[in-house]
Amino acid sequence: MIGKDSALPTASPPSAPRPVGHVVATELKPATPYQFHFWTANETSIGIGAIVRVEEPGNGKRETGNEIRETGNGKGETGKVVYGVVTDGFAYSDLATPLHDVVGAEGDPARAAESPTARQEIRLWTAAVLRQIPEEPLQPVPLGRVHVATDADVARALRMDAYLGGAHPTAIPVGLYTSGGLEAPVYLDADFLLGPEAAHLNISGVSGLATKTSAVEFLLSAIFEHFPPHKGRIAAVCFNVKGPDLCFLDQPGTLDAEDRRRYERLGVPAQPFERVRYYAPFKADGANLNTLRTHAALVGDVEPLVWGLREVLDFAEVLLNRDDIDAKADAFIDFLADRVVDKEFADGFGNVHRVTTFADLDKLFRAVFDGLELAGRSDTWRTHHIATIRKVRNRLANISTRCKGLVADDGPSNDLPWGRFEDRAVYVVDVANVDPLGQDLVFARIVSKLREHLERRDLGVDAVMVFVDELNKYASADGPDTYVRKMLLDISERGRYLGLVLFGAEQFRSQVHRRVVGNAGTMVFGRMDSDELATPGYQVLTPATKTKLATLPIGELMVRHPHFTQPIFVRFPRPAVLRGRDGVERFPPAADLPFEDAVVRQLVKLDRRIRPNQVKDLIADRLEQDVRRALATVRQTHPEDPLACLRRQLGARVEPEPARGAVPPLAPISEEPY
Amino acid sequence: MAALRSWKDAMVAAGAVAVSHVPEASLGRTDIDEVAGAEPVEDSGLAAHPVEQGAPAPPAIRFLDGIELWKVVYYDGVLPIVRAHVAAAVKSRGADRRLRTADEAGRDCFVTSVALLRPAVRAVLEASGLELVDLPQEEASQPGRALEAARRAVERARVALEKQLGERCAERLGPDEWLVVDGVLSESSVLAGHPRALAVIKSHGAQYFAGPELERALTVSPGNRTSVFRPRGRARHEVYSWYQRLWPWEGNDVLFGLLRVEARAHADTVRAASRIGGWLHRERAPLATPDARWDRLLYPIHYVETYLKARAPRDLLPAPGSRLPKTGT
Repeated sequence: MIGKDSALPTASPPSAPRPVGHVVATELKPATPYQFHFWTANETSIGIGAIVRVEEPGNGKRETGNEIRETGNGKGETGKVVYGVVTDGFAYSDLATPLHDVVGAEGDPARAAESPTARQEIRLWTAAVLRQIPEEPLQPVPLGRVHVATDADVARALRMDAYLGGAHPTAIPVGLYTSGGLEAPVYLDADFLLGPEAAHLNISGVSGLATKTSAVEFLLSAIFEHFPPHKGRIAAVCFNVKGPDLCFLDQPGTLDAEDRRRYERLGVPAQPFERVRYYAPFKADGANLNTLRTHAALVGDVEPLVWGLREVLDFAEVLLNRDDIDAKADAFIDFLADRVVDKEFADGFGNVHRVTTFADLDKLFRAVFDGLELAGRSDTWRTHHIATIRKVRNRLANISTRCKGLVADDGPSNDLPWGRFEDRAVYVVDVANVDPLGQDLVFARIVSKLREHLERRDLGVDAVMVFVDELNKYASADGPDTYVRKMLLDISERGRYLGLVLFGAEQFRSQVHRRVVGNAGTMVFGRMDSDELATPGYQVLTPATKTKLATLPIGELMVRHPHFTQPIFVRFPRPAVLRGRDGVERFPPAADLPFEDAVVRQLVKLDRRIRPNQVKDLIADRLEQDVRRALATVRQTHPEDPLACLRRQLGARVEPEPARGAVPPLAPISEEPY
Repeated sequence: MAALRSWKDAMVAAGAVAVSHVPEASLGRTDIDEVAGAEPVEDSGLAAHPVEQGAPAPPAIRFLDGIELWKVVYYDGVLPIVRAHVAAAVKSRGADRRLRTADEAGRDCFVTSVALLRPAVRAVLEASGLELVDLPQEEASQPGRALEAARRAVERARVALEKQLGERCAERLGPDEWLVVDGVLSESSVLAGHPRALAVIKSHGAQYFAGPELERALTVSPGNRTSVFRPRGRARHEVYSWYQRLWPWEGNDVLFGLLRVEARAHADTVRAASRIGGWLHRERAPLATPDARWDRLLYPIHYVETYLKARAPRDLLPAPGSRLPKTGT
């Protein structure tokens, strides 16, 4: 007699957590070294993305070579542990064919739910192996008990134990893995996120959910807090390419208790960035800033981004379209850059020029054209044909027109603090309202300068994260081979050696150049478009994972990282900074000021003692271009007395000539025509 | 071809029902072939009564079933040694419509004629740790007779286990709980006398009527039952019974969808027969497929059987075809 009275399951002792499932293997669905299947109760906390632990049943002995060792835990288990992540789920009943349900309900769907007994159902899950311990010999997953992963299990399963501890931990929290009431922080390895082992992060997701921007903002906070001291100093340069997304990183946002708890769990302070520097070009008037951060309370922090001839000429290739790029134009631009700009230059017609601005350059061009015409000489000047000269002149003039505000015709430039980058600072460059040509110029120049300084190790920091949204536009897979795209490819492929790390974001990963996304060591996915998920790049994901990605709530991400053998779903708290949309409501952008008021505002920013009337009196009747040039010099030199400096720059007022008296006509003009 | 069609039509027109059935599965017990007889209880003759459609099922019902598995695992000379497993379980169904195990029991044994075993073999069997069920020497004198005796012994063991579990369950039934047994009630005085115990019998080897009454019993329409009667014959304890049709038999077999129900021999049973028949009728869904007896097998009983088979020793289950590639030999 083997009677087993009362088969109701008994509670396991507290020390032995109850398994949530059991591995099964059939001929059609076998367990392999990289995949297994298990069933759970119908009511279970397991879902797609859940991490589980499988313990091998056995006698506690393992054969190794010629000997049999005690390896178990004393509970009959051999000690082999397999970690997996659920990638697919199935539910079915013992219904042999749908027809049987029709027959049972006599064709009435309403009666189908009224059957007195619920059919036996199964919840069957497919899991991909994350890690086996021991890792050798690599064998099929044992048909053991399945447990929900604990914090420690998650760390081991994702191989985070390699970088969480030790003398130089390099863990950067990216979010919380949550499943079945358990919650475990997930960390990225700084060596693989920011170099030198691997680098770059790419984030994809549909627009409008603020997931991409929020994720990057949170991740920047986490990096600033957890960046390993032995790796030096780090900063971020963020290009704000649309709306007010990144305009309020220094302002606190609204967080609920759950967000704060998550921040605490992840060890990241729930506060906005301490050091944020904003840069934005002027509008075409050269006085009002071209940004949405123009509220009176905030605009004082925004530095104008103004570039002159030298800055533009170095990146002329960015600004010239494909038709312009020929050897003659290149040669002439190189000639200007090498021989003319910032030098005393004789034009050969008796004039000496010192070209430092677009205005100076135009004077030179006019002198050359006049000289050639008056001299009646050939149509060649310094071996350059006059047509080439005219073409380059037109293109450069076009730049200063299209990028007016960013590119100054005259006056000094104002730029990022090259060589003086601060540790844990965010440099936001707002080019949201700049002409696409200007955006390309800004992007190309800033990234090139970053690279240049990082190569010389004189930037002020050891690593820089460059956040670029809309990679679909800047590094399109099938678009023209632009300078910007070439540069992004260059960063992707070689930036990690320099500490130049690209954080790229886009809506459609499939439409970004494959080498840009392919070189990203860490991939992050927010909610995805179904059409995008149908592209070949997502073939490795199961249908269930794709469905989850297509319906992912705000605040949840799927992360791929070199240490994780499978994608992991994590939740991250809302960024502790003011969202762009909320920012423009709380700090509505100010209307454009009249030129005089805009000048006043800039001077007051330099010296609060200055009274508006003093400035207005000073610039009354002055040409705006003269005021702009003088103001730019004041801004650049940061004098103790800005007003006095402005007065000096403007020079003495030239009194207008008195109006001549009207000369009476020789004979009165009669209204009579005859 | 036209002639054949008109002949079939003529058969139907004459009152015959066209069927298509291989009768093996509905033969039931082959050891009972006599007409046992029945005594009318509800009506003077056997009449058809509609069951109460939509009658609510009791809030909680327990279902009892058992299985028996056996196979010859050794021969000692020409004496077969049978390894057997019998098991029974009770599943309880509550408001959530799910079935949960309430009780179960099992028994593993060897069945053979112990006295005919060689001493060495007997010693090994006794040392196996499993119970040894003895067959009388005269029933095991030939292999064929021994196997039939073993089959009966295993069946007795299963019936005893079911009875033991059923009685234990009946004693523990709550005031609103019912017990539905796959088999008969009349083997147990406890079950036969319990006011909320029912038996559903799928096999109809034993017949209680003859002539027109048999025809009325076996052709009762779906959603109808026969009058309550008192079966006669080998029943140990008195019960009341009725036939009830779950599915139309036309086009299948005359026993298709036909149940015989047993309940306590009490006047209340007669009063409640249509109501009980009503909620039993609703047990048609879900279908107990893929079991071939789905037309008479209640799904909860099928579920208990599936459960017991899933927990039975693997070596006693019918072996699937070999999955190994066939060799040239």
